[in-house]
Amino acid sequence: MSQSLDAYLVLASLLFCIGTFGFLARRNAIAMLMSIELMINAVNLVIVAFGAFTPELADRASVIALIVMAVAAAEATVGLAIVIAIYRNRRTPLVDEYHSMRE
Amino acid sequence: MTTDQLLVTLLLALPIGGFALTALVGRRLYQRAWIIAVGAIVATWLIAMYLVYNTLFLNAYGAQGLHFTLYEWIPAGDFRIEANFAVDNLTAALLIVVCTVGMLVHVYSIGYMAHDPGRWRFFAYLNLFMFSMLLLVLADNFLLLFAAWELVGLSSYLLIGFWYGRRSAALAAKKAFLVNRVGDVGFALGIMAIWTTVGTLNFPEVFERIPLLAESGVIQPWQMTGLALLLFLGAVGKSAQFPLHVWLPDAMEGPTPVSALIHAATMVNAGVYMVARANPLFVQSPSAMWLIAGVGIFTAILAASIAFTQRDIKRVLAYSTLSQLGYMFAALGVGAFTAAIFHLMTHGFFKGLLFLGSGSVIHGVHDEQDMNRMGGLWRKMPITHITMLIGAIAIAGIPPLAGFFSKDEILGQAWKNGFVWVWAIGIVVALMTAFYMFRLMGKTFYGPSNVDPAVEPRVHESPRSMTVPLLLLAIPSAVLGVALGFPIGAGLIEQWMEPVFEGANEVLGRGQAEPFQVLGLDGFLAGASVAVAVLGVLAAMRLFGFRVPLLGLQAKPRPAVVERLTDRLRPLYTGSFHKWFFDDLNDLIFVRAGGLVARGLWWFDVHIIDGAVNGVAGLTQRSGRGLRHIQTGRVQNYALGIALSLIVVAVGYFVAGGR
Repeated sequence: MSQSLDAYLVLASLLFCIGTFGFLARRNAIAMLMSIELMINAVNLVIVAFGAFTPELADRASVIALIVMAVAAAEATVGLAIVIAIYRNRRTPLVDEYHSMRE
Repeated sequence: MTTDQLLVTLLLALPIGGFALTALVGRRLYQRAWIIAVGAIVATWLIAMYLVYNTLFLNAYGAQGLHFTLYEWIPAGDFRIEANFAVDNLTAALLIVVCTVGMLVHVYSIGYMAHDPGRWRFFAYLNLFMFSMLLLVLADNFLLLFAAWELVGLSSYLLIGFWYGRRSAALAAKKAFLVNRVGDVGFALGIMAIWTTVGTLNFPEVFERIPLLAESGVIQPWQMTGLALLLFLGAVGKSAQFPLHVWLPDAMEGPTPVSALIHAATMVNAGVYMVARANPLFVQSPSAMWLIAGVGIFTAILAASIAFTQRDIKRVLAYSTLSQLGYMFAALGVGAFTAAIFHLMTHGFFKGLLFLGSGSVIHGVHDEQDMNRMGGLWRKMPITHITMLIGAIAIAGIPPLAGFFSKDEILGQAWKNGFVWVWAIGIVVALMTAFYMFRLMGKTFYGPSNVDPAVEPRVHESPRSMTVPLLLLAIPSAVLGVALGFPIGAGLIEQWMEPVFEGANEVLGRGQAEPFQVLGLDGFLAGASVAVAVLGVLAAMRLFGFRVPLLGLQAKPRPAVVERLTDRLRPLYTGSFHKWFFDDLNDLIFVRAGGLVARGLWWFDVHIIDGAVNGVAGLTQRSGRGLRHIQTGRVQNYALGIALSLIVVAVGYFVAGGR
């Protein structure tokens, strides 16, 4: 384990940027959901890293990380369900086809 | 609820029920549209007569009368108004006129409106009017009185404009409504002022507290004068006194039964009634009383002078009504409240009679109202002729018919109370009244026939439903004066009105009336009014003709003399004929000058006010139209927006907060 907090933060930022890029650039809804997971995990990594390097935050950080994981799981479930429902309807996973709510 | 309270409630419930029923099903009744309305009013009349008998003859409710609360009308915190009603001697006197004339007019209308397709509407409105008028006389607080005041105004508007297809009728209705509004503003302000100064609107309490408040100086004399004048402004509007008199002659556009009922016998008396009802308030302000007397007597002579030259039979009667109402206000102003109410009653009957008679004439000559196209009708319409003759003698003030007693009472009181100028003008008006009434009789019944030759053979007496009310109205027109006013100064009417005006007479310092002195001042005053009345009648008979069929008396009309007199008095004639140009003056001030101001304000409204509102709306609309292009419906565009905004916020935070 590295002794530097910066390394974790850099890694997390990279992960987050990859996630953001994936979310903005990919047209496939499943891939976008995966990108969201990536971003959530980047944030989780930051939380845990801060918890590890700051003693008074240690226990709280772990709890928050666990909650984030639960939320991420729930989000993934609901997101996937929606994507599947739309897929059944539209026969395509590509989000730029989903524009019926456009003005 | 006692039986009598129930009867008072019924008095209001019957006409409004008749109105609702006739309005709902009247159209389906075709020729019989009158059946519900007339039935309701006949029942109302019976109940009213029972109550009047109880009040005036049995004195069953005591000096204060019957007061009761039906329900709480407006419970709003400290402001509590009840729907409370009262029957006292003053109300009973009004009930006699309102219900009797009202009932006879309803019966008369069966015949008069028989051929009108809108008759169901007519009867519904008439019932609505009766409800409003009864509410007006029964109301026991100012706000309820005001509501009824507006309701009679509404029904008057609906009935003047009954033939709304005629432009003149629609305009006359609008004029009546608008001119009345001017007075109503004053009335409403007066009521608010009473609420703020006295703290209640119930009649008994207001009139009990007013003298105390005036005495203790809580209400200053100038405030009292202001209060009285504001209320009086309402009366001026409703009773068509100068300068708001212009609506009444135009109101003759309505069907004649309406003119008889609303614009002669009942509604226009509402102002007189209100001032008489509020007598404890008015007597506190001598200057307001002085002004009331002045306005009244001025209206009397102004209207009488106009009645001289009018050609429309109904307009002559309308100006005569104005003139007589002027008398009543003069009486109120000089403090002769009893005389005013007495004249209100007698006038209600004989003017109702004259109007219904004129309606019968108009009906007989096939909707002709111009007296220059009548004449010689006495032979063809005998009942109408006789009854109208009784009405004309009554209004001219020749004893022993009704008008003499009440008019003489007013003039005598004016003299004795120190208003000799009111008496002097009043006696001139009496002369004029006698003259123009017999001018009307001469032109209509006695002079040579100028009826359209095509109509002449078909001139006929009116059906029985019209002549019977005429005969029934002729009776009170003839005997009511003797019945109530004899002996002069101590008749029944004095006894009836004594408890109502007791306090006012005390404030004015009037003691017990002295017995009538034939050889003293009373005899001179009565003699003077009879003399001028006879003089006026004789002059008119000489000029316009007369005939007593039974006695073989007759006088030929002298159109040449009339012509010469008219020529000599040309400026006066022109002024009188054009109603002293009041309509033109109003047109100049309010329609033209007021129109200019209104047009300026209209421009301001359209360009500045509407401009601002529309500008804001337009701006919002345009920006919305521009902004809707960013709604692409693509999730990733939105996400990009969120991401970019986040970056901006974050950078901003670091730049600003990082220092």
